[in-house]
Amino acid sequence: MSGSMWNSLLRIDLSARRARARPVPDELAVYLGGMGYGVKLLADEVPPRTDPLSPENKLILTVGPLTGTLAPMHPQSCIVTKSPLTDGILNCYAGGFLGAELKFAGLDGIVLEGRSPDWTLLLVEDGQVSFHDAAPLLGKGTAETEAWMKKRFGPEVRTLSIGPAGEKGVAFAGIFSETRTFGRGGAGAVLGSKRVKGLAVRGSLGVGTVHPEEFARLVAENMEQLRRACAEEYNLVGMFSRVGTGAGMGLVNGRGGLATRYHEYGQFEKFAEIDGFAYARKFYTRAVACYGCPVHCGMLHKFRQADGSEGWLRGPEYETMYSLGSEVGNGDPVTLAEANRLCEEYGMDTLTAGVTVAWALEMGEKGLAREPGLSLRFGDREAILGLLARIGRREGIGDLLARGPLRAARELGGLDIAMQIKNSGFAAWMPRRMKGTALAFATSNRGACHKRAPIGAEITGQIDMNAYEGKAALVKGIQDRVNAIFTLVSCRFHEFVTPPELYPRFVQAATGRSMGLPDFDRLGERIWNLEKLYNLGSGLTRADDALPERCFQPIKGPASEGAVIDRAKFEAMLDEYYAVRGWDRDGVPTAGRLRELGLERYAALGRPGAGGSAGGLAR
Amino acid sequence: MSDRPPAAGPAFAIDPEKCTECERCMGACALVKTRVVRLADACITIQRRWPEVPGIHVCRFKNCAGQPCIPACPVEAIASRDGYVLIDREACTGCGACLEECPYQAIRLDGEERAFKCDFCGGRPACVPECATFALAVAGKGAEPGREAGGRP
Repeated sequence: MSGSMWNSLLRIDLSARRARARPVPDELAVYLGGMGYGVKLLADEVPPRTDPLSPENKLILTVGPLTGTLAPMHPQSCIVTKSPLTDGILNCYAGGFLGAELKFAGLDGIVLEGRSPDWTLLLVEDGQVSFHDAAPLLGKGTAETEAWMKKRFGPEVRTLSIGPAGEKGVAFAGIFSETRTFGRGGAGAVLGSKRVKGLAVRGSLGVGTVHPEEFARLVAENMEQLRRACAEEYNLVGMFSRVGTGAGMGLVNGRGGLATRYHEYGQFEKFAEIDGFAYARKFYTRAVACYGCPVHCGMLHKFRQADGSEGWLRGPEYETMYSLGSEVGNGDPVTLAEANRLCEEYGMDTLTAGVTVAWALEMGEKGLAREPGLSLRFGDREAILGLLARIGRREGIGDLLARGPLRAARELGGLDIAMQIKNSGFAAWMPRRMKGTALAFATSNRGACHKRAPIGAEITGQIDMNAYEGKAALVKGIQDRVNAIFTLVSCRFHEFVTPPELYPRFVQAATGRSMGLPDFDRLGERIWNLEKLYNLGSGLTRADDALPERCFQPIKGPASEGAVIDRAKFEAMLDEYYAVRGWDRDGVPTAGRLRELGLERYAALGRPGAGGSAGGLAR
Repeated sequence: MSDRPPAAGPAFAIDPEKCTECERCMGACALVKTRVVRLADACITIQRRWPEVPGIHVCRFKNCAGQPCIPACPVEAIASRDGYVLIDREACTGCGACLEECPYQAIRLDGEERAFKCDFCGGRPACVPECATFALAVAGKGAEPGREAGGRP
């Protein structure tokens, strides 16, 4: 063991039903863990033209140097795979307790390879794997699958599972881990393609660090920073700790940036019915945390359900309050929570699912789409819940929607309004309102993603949200930094509070690996470039670093001030961004930049079309 | 880790309603006892009853009525001094009688079949300052009092 890492990756060959632990080679260890391990392994082992749902794709589940330690806000684990939604490289994350349990099981990660001959459940106990028949669980929801595993394997196991959507290859199927979700990009469909219904982990080992005294000092320092943040009235993380991630909806709405009715409007008249404060006010609420986290942004609510019965429901996260709330014109918190639970049961990303439903609703209102038994209109409860169920089961129009918003629009029309980038549905933010966020969405390696965008600075007015100038370098810096923290694997919110200098100090105390903040950010940049090469190799081009047409029409409603994207200015900002990145005008990393990043041997990875079929999104 | 003054006598104030189930108390306990984060070694256990409020299993010391573990021990390995109920590990035979008597399920057997439980860290429990929501506090030391005096198992 090198400090907090075990130097051990478990490779599970599903086709042969065989598993073996392998040491981590030095050239991988420099990527620290988490996203770094995942991206490097995928780039090395899965050619970019691989069909994401074929046995040749791999699903790589990793943790990082701070996982399982007492460093606060490090519960998450990371999945990297080739995405069936974008056809590019995917990294996605879930909190909860799975990450720590993997570490307690003596593992830095698990690589799932091949395809099981029959549907299987995997049980990993301290690095030992057993295969269990999953046939009785086929068609079952994620909560039932999880309960079954806990009953069968013991209540203390930590799990992940897929629902019917993952089994049936819904392009945005997620993987669920005790109500935390590897949401974006369709990792659930990849797991389904491998015929893995679920994974349970039990660990009995202890996690140490190389420099325990220094590590304890850093933990205490970081805990104090988080405690202060949580005690501040207007600190975002503090608000999360009180009412969950839905705390900020009022602020966004007030700035005319709350995407509403499929991004036509920037304000939702019923926001105060569905935001975090509304849930806390209307329902008995119990805060629940991920492993070791003092912020406890998860909220459980007791509801009177539509059928009159009382039950517990997981409070929707902010992005879901948008995607199944304002975006679909739904101002009813119970409908929203039930839609959230439906996505959990079927096992789907609430974001792309909701945004795809919103597209169908608008198409319905325009008379361009219809579905027997449903009235496709914004705010229609039966339509929202009905479409989600149809997507999860791949029935009726749901079978088309299950392919993702771009592919659905190519079939049915309405491509001009489809709020997607690289076939990934929009996260809760309006590029027209926030120009740096526009660039971040367009250039995200996983499509329409908010995780590496200057959202906080723009929405609060810290920087001019309407300006194009200066955003290219800003966005690059955020992308690199966030990639770096995802090697650890930090919660995205950790960096909202934690001074960046703490990260390399944490790494050094945990692993003995000495680095400065510039090295840390440079690692993030290296990973970003590796992802970009992978996406180029899969057939994605500059044309995929684009905004949907709706972004070039003004947002409606007074608070949004007619905000719009100027096409020429956006393209100039993209040019500038590519230049700052050391990429050419087509977004291809130059040989010089690859050399600086130590990636010269990956140059060929970014050359598309060496033999294979057309790029996935063109497929 | 903490600058808190030692308590007058050992007693937790515990409020499971405030517990977020983060298990930070468990990690901190294991770390202070074994130098690594190995949750199986923690002397405090959060028992999930998802979605209902969890159970918090730890010795209540002064707040434990009758302290039945003490008479239960056939070899008199458990004794109370100033309220500090402690197990003499060398004397313990691992019979498990105390485990059965403990109303809080706060005693377990370790890998060598010896009973172990919380010793209040000699007055400054490592778990307490880690609890962000004051579900766990030292009784009577300025911490927000828990609604559970004796504790619910």
